[in-house]
Amino acid sequence: MKKAHNIYKSKKLIKVSLEYDEDSKIINSITITGDFFLYPEENLDKLEASLIGTKFGRDAIKQKIEKCLNSSEAFGFDSESMTDAILGCFKEEQD
Amino acid sequence: MLQGRTRLGNEGRKEGKKGDGETMSFKFSQIRTLETGYNSGPWNMALDEVLMNCINYPSMPILRIYGWQPPTVSIGYFQSLDEEVDIKRCRQMGIDVVRRITGGGAVLHESELTYSFVTKVYPKNIMESYNLICDAIVMCVNKLGFNAKFAPLNDIIVDGKKVSGNAQTRKKDTLLHHGTILLNVNLEKMFSVLKVPSEKVKDKMIDDAKERVRGLNKTFEQVAYNLKEAFSEKFGAKIIVDDLTNKEEESTKKLAKEKYSSDQWNRKK
Repeated sequence: MKKAHNIYKSKKLIKVSLEYDEDSKIINSITITGDFFLYPEENLDKLEASLIGTKFGRDAIKQKIEKCLNSSEAFGFDSESMTDAILGCFKEEQD
Repeated sequence: MLQGRTRLGNEGRKEGKKGDGETMSFKFSQIRTLETGYNSGPWNMALDEVLMNCINYPSMPILRIYGWQPPTVSIGYFQSLDEEVDIKRCRQMGIDVVRRITGGGAVLHESELTYSFVTKVYPKNIMESYNLICDAIVMCVNKLGFNAKFAPLNDIIVDGKKVSGNAQTRKKDTLLHHGTILLNVNLEKMFSVLKVPSEKVKDKMIDDAKERVRGLNKTFEQVAYNLKEAFSEKFGAKIIVDDLTNKEEESTKKLAKEKYSSDQWNRKK
């Protein structure tokens, strides 16, 4: 299991810490923090839970974020910037 | 419209009808106003939550005016205490820490006036609800002789510099809006307790922040007086200064101890 961390500046700051399986590239745990706003707030927990088991890849991750944002209102980030914040943890894999 | 201290009887708390003209225009007959003095971070955050849970009268929102003793760093709901705050340094400096139920960034509450506004009647659109309540803050700052503007989503600025930060949450059918009006700023002290990448970066961050943030250089009492006037005018309401009920005080003590002083809450992230 590999740990990764990324800090991403959108309109607000997004910090992502995650663990993923190096072979399968599947996310095992993820914590998203930052000074953004999301209503209702509990939906961030749901997003984190939904990302567990997701394989590294822009489409799969963005789809989960968009699903979360369909039932939320976010200020300080959008689906694109949150996707970039998470993918930044996989920088080594992308190089 | 300002009134003296009045104990509220039931007559003063008659409900308006949801959906009637008065409600839709966001006018209220009275605003229950609590001036709760200086208290600890956990107690302050507990009381805001208790007021959200206790408000019963849609026609009478609550305006609370308060300060912090000891000085406290509050972090946003989505922030990590360990990532954002130098806890050891806070302890050395006698600064408390607490996590809010609202989003946004870390704030050192010291030389400022803090307010909360709790209401069951508000625009459902989030931008509109910030706009509505921040307009009262803008009116307050302008009464103090400044030319303030609302800078969405959550700041009030004077001459391009932030003088007030705001945050909201909604639970069930109640809105909590809380925020600060800066009296003075001590950015060196603030950045000494917030975690920054390096000492070199810290100096630049302080210099940048000096360009973006300022205090009003007014007293707590001056701001409090004008805040009450501004809310009264904005919402066409009489200010009814009230005290906490015994139940509110007891619930606050309990919540401050069991939730807002706990690692389980403050280190949730």
